[in-house]
Amino acid sequence: MLELAIGIILGCCALGAGAAMIAGIGPGIGEGNAVAAACEAIGRQPESKGDVTSTMLMGCAVAETTGLYALVIAILLIFVAPRMLVNILMDAVGK
Amino acid sequence: MLKRFDAIDPTVRKESLYIASVTGILSLLLQAGFLVARHWDYTVLLGNLLGGVTAAGNFFLMGITVQKAVAKEKKPAADLMKFSQTVRLLLQLVVAVLGFALPCFNGYAVIIPLFFPRIGIMIRPFIKGKE
Repeated sequence: MLELAIGIILGCCALGAGAAMIAGIGPGIGEGNAVAAACEAIGRQPESKGDVTSTMLMGCAVAETTGLYALVIAILLIFVAPRMLVNILMDAVGK
Repeated sequence: MLKRFDAIDPTVRKESLYIASVTGILSLLLQAGFLVARHWDYTVLLGNLLGGVTAAGNFFLMGITVQKAVAKEKKPAADLMKFSQTVRLLLQLVVAVLGFALPCFNGYAVIIPLFFPRIGIMIRPFIKGKE
């Protein structure tokens, strides 16, 4: 029974990590749209290339942080959460 | 080598330098924080180095991609950016996994510097206002 509980904990942590990484898709799509719009803007006003590139770089970095949050959650679910949850379970059953 | 460096857009060079500087300064603060908390050892230093280099390198690679993308048409530019973001995210995932899996790195010291560029962007308006 204890093995089953540990298996469920590990499985749920792995599933959670996988689900968290779905958030990594969003920034890619957002950055793609931003760059496409920037291409259009630079095509219309080539003299503003420096300003547009600078603003877009910062915007892309901010957008990427969302993916990083997901990555951190996934890493914590894989490396930190299982040990912590198994310890809590062991304490609960008194082993 | 020098020719390649010249091919980098001045904007990308300037912003990458700014992000690298901010990452360096915040890394020092992180080390100080670990020292104060009495958790400092060589794994923190190595982890911080790995995380800091990854964060600054990721921003630089993003800059190079943006520079290449703005010279393309709308659709190929968007596709290039999506591909680049996926590859860079995977690279960061590998670095984070290495940070937690290898005993010579402190996992938290690897993860925290990945957010330093974001902090750098957040404090940028205050720095720019003073210039």
